[in-house]
Amino acid sequence: MKKLPINMRTATLLVVLLPLLLAFGYVVTNSGPLAPTPVTVMTVEKQSITPALFGIGTVEARYRYRVGPTMTGRLLSLNRDVGDRVIAGEILGEMDPIDMDDRVTANKAAIKRATASIAAAEAHVNDLAARTEYSGAQAKRYQQLTIDRNASTEAAEAKNQEYRVAKAGLAVAIATLNVAQQELEMLQAEHEGLLQQRSNLRLVAPVEGVITSRHIEPGSTAMAGQTILEIIDPKSIWINVRFNQLQSNELIKGLPATIVLRSRSNQPASGTVARIELLADPVTEEMLAKVVFEQLPEPSPPIGELTEVTVLLPQLDAAPVVPNASIKQLDGQSGVWRVEGDRLQFTPIETGISDLDGRVQITKGLEVGDQVVVYSKQALTARSRITTVDSLVGSGS
Amino acid sequence: MKEHTGIFIEGMRKRYGEGDTAVDALKDVNMRVMPGEVIGLIGPSGSGKSTLLKCLGAVVEPTAGRMTLGNKVIYDNGWLIKDLRALRRDNIGFVFQAPYLIPFLDVTDNVALLPMLAGRSNAESRKRAVELLEALDVAHRAKAMPSQLSGGEQQRVAIARALVNQPPVILADEPTAPLDSQRALSVIRILNQMAQQYQTAIIVVTHDEKIIPTFKRIYHIRDGGTHEEVGEGKDLE
Amino acid sequence: MISLAARDVLHTWGKFVFTGVGLGLLIGVTLTMAGVYRGMVDDAKVLLNNSGADMWVVQKNTLGPYAEPSSIHDDLYRSILSMPGVARAANVTYLTMQVQQGERDVRAMVVGIIPDGPGEPGYLLAGRQITRSHYEAVADIATGFELGQTIRIRRHNYTVVGLTRRMVSSGGDPMVFIPLRDAQEAQFLKDNDAIINERSRTAANPAFSRPEVLDAIISSQSSNPFVNAILVQIKPGFTAEKVAEPIQRWQKLQVYTRDQMEEILVAKLIATSSKQIGMFLVILAIVSAAIVAFIIYTLTMGKIREIAVLKLIGTRNRTIAGMIMQQAVGLGLIGFVVGKVSATIWAPMFPKYVLLESGDALRGFIAIVIICILASLLAIRAALNVDPAEAIGG
Repeated sequence: MKKLPINMRTATLLVVLLPLLLAFGYVVTNSGPLAPTPVTVMTVEKQSITPALFGIGTVEARYRYRVGPTMTGRLLSLNRDVGDRVIAGEILGEMDPIDMDDRVTANKAAIKRATASIAAAEAHVNDLAARTEYSGAQAKRYQQLTIDRNASTEAAEAKNQEYRVAKAGLAVAIATLNVAQQELEMLQAEHEGLLQQRSNLRLVAPVEGVITSRHIEPGSTAMAGQTILEIIDPKSIWINVRFNQLQSNELIKGLPATIVLRSRSNQPASGTVARIELLADPVTEEMLAKVVFEQLPEPSPPIGELTEVTVLLPQLDAAPVVPNASIKQLDGQSGVWRVEGDRLQFTPIETGISDLDGRVQITKGLEVGDQVVVYSKQALTARSRITTVDSLVGSGS
Repeated sequence: MKEHTGIFIEGMRKRYGEGDTAVDALKDVNMRVMPGEVIGLIGPSGSGKSTLLKCLGAVVEPTAGRMTLGNKVIYDNGWLIKDLRALRRDNIGFVFQAPYLIPFLDVTDNVALLPMLAGRSNAESRKRAVELLEALDVAHRAKAMPSQLSGGEQQRVAIARALVNQPPVILADEPTAPLDSQRALSVIRILNQMAQQYQTAIIVVTHDEKIIPTFKRIYHIRDGGTHEEVGEGKDLE
Repeated sequence: MISLAARDVLHTWGKFVFTGVGLGLLIGVTLTMAGVYRGMVDDAKVLLNNSGADMWVVQKNTLGPYAEPSSIHDDLYRSILSMPGVARAANVTYLTMQVQQGERDVRAMVVGIIPDGPGEPGYLLAGRQITRSHYEAVADIATGFELGQTIRIRRHNYTVVGLTRRMVSSGGDPMVFIPLRDAQEAQFLKDNDAIINERSRTAANPAFSRPEVLDAIISSQSSNPFVNAILVQIKPGFTAEKVAEPIQRWQKLQVYTRDQMEEILVAKLIATSSKQIGMFLVILAIVSAAIVAFIIYTLTMGKIREIAVLKLIGTRNRTIAGMIMQQAVGLGLIGFVVGKVSATIWAPMFPKYVLLESGDALRGFIAIVIICILASLLAIRAALNVDPAEAIGG
């Protein structure tokens, strides 16, 4: 009796159909509404965290000197270029004096002329003084003669008149002499002024430093106040950092900082907070601070390079801590999903300080030992069914 | 053992079409087959042979006449039985030119299907089937599928199926046509055995020269009419 | 009575299962298409849910920030904060752009958020939320980014500090969250060549030839005081409509509640695409039905001889009809199982989210069973019309 063919057929059929039914069963229970949500869970522990502040800064020079003419003119010559080191008082260049020298010459000539005018006026005064003296003596004499009846009253009057005329003329001459003297003073003062201006045409380095930019070339016109050269002191480089206002109430002078230059991202440098600016930026809502390098990196970083600055605040005492991935918002409250048995419970919490790695202190709402959901595959509700796994990534989605 | 009275036809007529274009496939057929008899039905094609078979098999309604099957009048110028299918199932066995076994049932179930259709339990049906298979000497293939049997074995299974419900009549349509003379005679021998054993009336439609000599009685059919002839009745051995 | 349907299936099980698998793949495609449609609508909903907002404040007369560009000043949020019923209000920017990681770049929606504000992703798969005010990013896992990787957006590098899931734009692009200031700069400042070009154009303008003026203009051109929207969360006890009304009236801004936003996104933004997919789904379902019917009909027609014999030997019509229908429904069941399993297997491989809803699967199941029954009716009718006399040769 050949029983085999049928049994084998049934067996092969089962071998084909059974995995299909198992796959179907798997699919039904593991996807769709029947499937539980995978989550990872952690236990709340006391940890001591080190909060830090993070900001972006630019490298700046503490002092920046702009050298330029005080008067509009044409740049005559420039001796130094970008990158040159200069010493205080060094002459860097010169504006074109144009008619300045001629004006000095004119002024000198005017002074000479004024001196000559004074001499003439003095001579005139002397002359008139002599005449006045003479007519004064004459008037006196005729007065005497009138008394003696040797001369007519008319004649005495006439001599008196001559005397008065001579005196007036003398006054005029003295006044003219004064004018000439004032003019000389004025021209002399002008002379001083012209000499000052002449020296201003020279561009002088105010401090020792390095030239960072050269804006105008010789031959071009520069306006009064325009910058021709910029100089900085390379040793006075610091970083102008912007911190988000929300976090920075702990920022004080003297805190240690880590500086990462954009061009040297794997060579962090250390520094300190040198100054907190009193003026914050209301538009960008940032606080400004200045951070100095402990040791200036070699070679010097260029001005304007971006840096990332992290200021470490003092370490805090140990307190219950959760990762910020656990914190959710529900109905206007901050809280976490606590695991009780296999149910979820939304627990409102109050948070304290957090650090830059996302660890947040809990001031109210949780105790050490509470189990809290950290990561989940989808949004959770109080009715969600969960299954705890070790990790949600690396195992497929 | 049931008591049969065989099959009895009087004045059967079958007309196709109406009016001028009407054709009488059967004009006036009379036939009588007793239980235990194996008779031959011989006729050329177009003689109405197939029509007669279809009327005998209750698949076609005759136009007029009278037909008695078993001990019931089943047709008298109109079917007297409502459920022809049940009639066929319980009273007529068919053996065709080709075995026409159900390919997806094994040999036993092919035969057991009929009693199951009649309402018998599966166990009893299978028991009966096996009995018949044994009688036809094909029981050793009881669990095989029809495609695994030889032509002769399949034919024997078909005969078993025709017999399993112990119908009063078996209609065999050219059962030996594809077989060689030895096997053909073997089939006829079996039919005779079964007819005797179960007292069934068997009508064999054939034009196979090899087996015609074995019939004791033969009906010739021509142009829709039959006439009887006594056959040679040669012994089968 | 034995089951003819079962015996027939067992006998030609290979063909049957093969047909069932083929049918199943077709059904799987149809289910997947329905999933694509649902995924599109879900993308839109998820965008709204994940933003964590109860209200959106955008530029007046725009449908922004998702359906239309919207631009408002970044200091407006202060006045919104002071309005009654507002619990939290924060600026947010959205920009779809290419984000580079190593050699490849990924199309993502870059979202500028205030760390610890309403726009933050609601849940993470790994890592942490953004704590620093610059150069950190939280990425959706569909971007392919991993924790700790460096990605480049415009001119800055960002470190991926957190991973999340299902944070997508309405177009299905995965989101990358970065601090607001960086996003404002990214939205505004183009690449270096463009900036230099802009500067030289400004410098060429004779009106700006005074030195200090030129610097001042260039520096004002380089800052971006605009954001796309303000996300608002309202205090419990207030309704969105009540809080929205004064804002809309006094601040001359447009305010949308959650329901209004949903309508904008679903009815306006994705309407055309969803209609497109919906139509295709209908055609696919009809074609699937037709193919199922055809397959069942053909299977039946291949059994005509057996059916004739069965009828001749006395099988009830009812039994024959039952055999055909059982086979049809069995085929449908195999098809459904194969379809559901294969859809579940290949759905995650699609670039956009495919949401296979159980409701859709159930509906699909019922539809398949009905189609199979109807298709079998067609075949049954043909089978029952078979003349048993066919079995008796002519």
